[in-house]
Amino acid sequence: MSILTTHDRVLADLGATWRPQRQWIEGRGLWLIVGHFLSGVGAGAWLFGAWLDDGPTLLAAIVVVALAGVCHLAFLGRPKRFWRMVRVGSSWIARGFVGMSLMLPAAVLYFLFPTGAAGVLFLALSVAGAALLVVYKGNVYAASKGVPFWNSPVLPILYATYAIRGGLALVLLVMPVAGGGLERHGLALIELWVAVSAAVMLGFYLAVMRQTNLAARRSVTELVRGRVAAPFYLGTLGVGLVVPIAIGVAGLAGPLSQGALALVAALSLVGDFFAKYAIAKAGMYVPIMPAGRA
Amino acid sequence: MRYGMVIDLKRCVGCYGCQLSCKAEHGTPPGVFFARVVKREFGTFPNTRLTFLPLLCFHCGDAPCVDVCPTGASHYREGGVVDIDADRCVGCRACMQACPYGARSYNDEQRAYYPGQGLTPYEAARYSEQNVGVVMKCDFCIDRVRAGLEPACVANCAARARTFGDLDDPKSEVSHLIRLRGGEQLQPEQGTDPSVYYLPPA
Repeated sequence: MSILTTHDRVLADLGATWRPQRQWIEGRGLWLIVGHFLSGVGAGAWLFGAWLDDGPTLLAAIVVVALAGVCHLAFLGRPKRFWRMVRVGSSWIARGFVGMSLMLPAAVLYFLFPTGAAGVLFLALSVAGAALLVVYKGNVYAASKGVPFWNSPVLPILYATYAIRGGLALVLLVMPVAGGGLERHGLALIELWVAVSAAVMLGFYLAVMRQTNLAARRSVTELVRGRVAAPFYLGTLGVGLVVPIAIGVAGLAGPLSQGALALVAALSLVGDFFAKYAIAKAGMYVPIMPAGRA
Repeated sequence: MRYGMVIDLKRCVGCYGCQLSCKAEHGTPPGVFFARVVKREFGTFPNTRLTFLPLLCFHCGDAPCVDVCPTGASHYREGGVVDIDADRCVGCRACMQACPYGARSYNDEQRAYYPGQGLTPYEAARYSEQNVGVVMKCDFCIDRVRAGLEPACVANCAARARTFGDLDDPKSEVSHLIRLRGGEQLQPEQGTDPSVYYLPPA
């Protein structure tokens, strides 16, 4: 997009009644969405990997969280100053940064030295950091008072659910590499349960936001029949929820193959990304003036 | 001491003088407005009404932009002025998402008003004062206020629609106008306690 077009669009947005948020979705803003997606998946996978004591999952989680950190840096306007983000008093971004800073080194150390008292300490620190990463994203959005669609206590729960689901999806993806030592049917059941929970949470979130205020309702409209409808229906609902849940339900009759589980995992991850993408893109700022002719 | 501003919507004629004087004072790049005027036409011909709403940072007493800033770049200065320390800002733009009034701008790249022709000498001189990759906003012209002057938008308002002063002083002109004319904050339901009050148009 040319500089002139960007300028014209800024002017048009400033004068419009309904201003879509563009900072966290367009241009380098997309890196933030990818970063949020990866940090949730990686942190969730670390929690599952620690619970199942599965080395390949732990390694994959470290790589994914490190990639999430790189994506966050790619988004920042001044990435060289990233170390300043430590004002944890009231900022969820700072808490997320502390979570990642805590988890990554502790996770690497635990992966290298898993035994003894040091191993227990590294595990505890890494799990604490991962737990912070799971909850921070939703709270970053929920603290955004200018975007009523995000400014809800339901969103952190939804994003935490998606992070858990993404983590489990990574476990299922890594499982063929890990040699199938894990109990597949149990994991498939958990995956189905979390997917259904995410679907219920998403429906609940949209139902609540539709009733909240005009700006939030406008965002819901954008999501269900506006400019974000395609990624929402195809990515978030179709690929991310309907198909994985259908396969999961089919798996109740008998154990799913490793390939089917990997497919469910891959689709879940795609859906996880599009959930974050669609919710971010549907965000509209509080209207300053009532609608009229500009 | 709490600096505040009163904007008389009955006097505002939508001349954009505040917007232009602010750009001249701060040398802001294209697409960045610390002060701006939103215009709306309501009704149907012949019963129509044109409304102007001058906007700027409201320097909220309970500013959500300060709460979400991960570095402390957004902070309160003397007189309750909400300001950004450009040297601390990482450009995460959380403050822009937190501000219910759209008062903040992100300076993502060095832009020129005449694309393809490079910066004019004026732009080259003024933009050197600006940081790229950070968020920018109105600071109530705190340097002018310290020097005993009014903010640029107040000093250059042709209709004298703007008044600047101390909200904590019951004898100040701003306090008097708010009491006398029933000054109201924009969207008080946001709970941010803005320092800018509007006097009703009629």
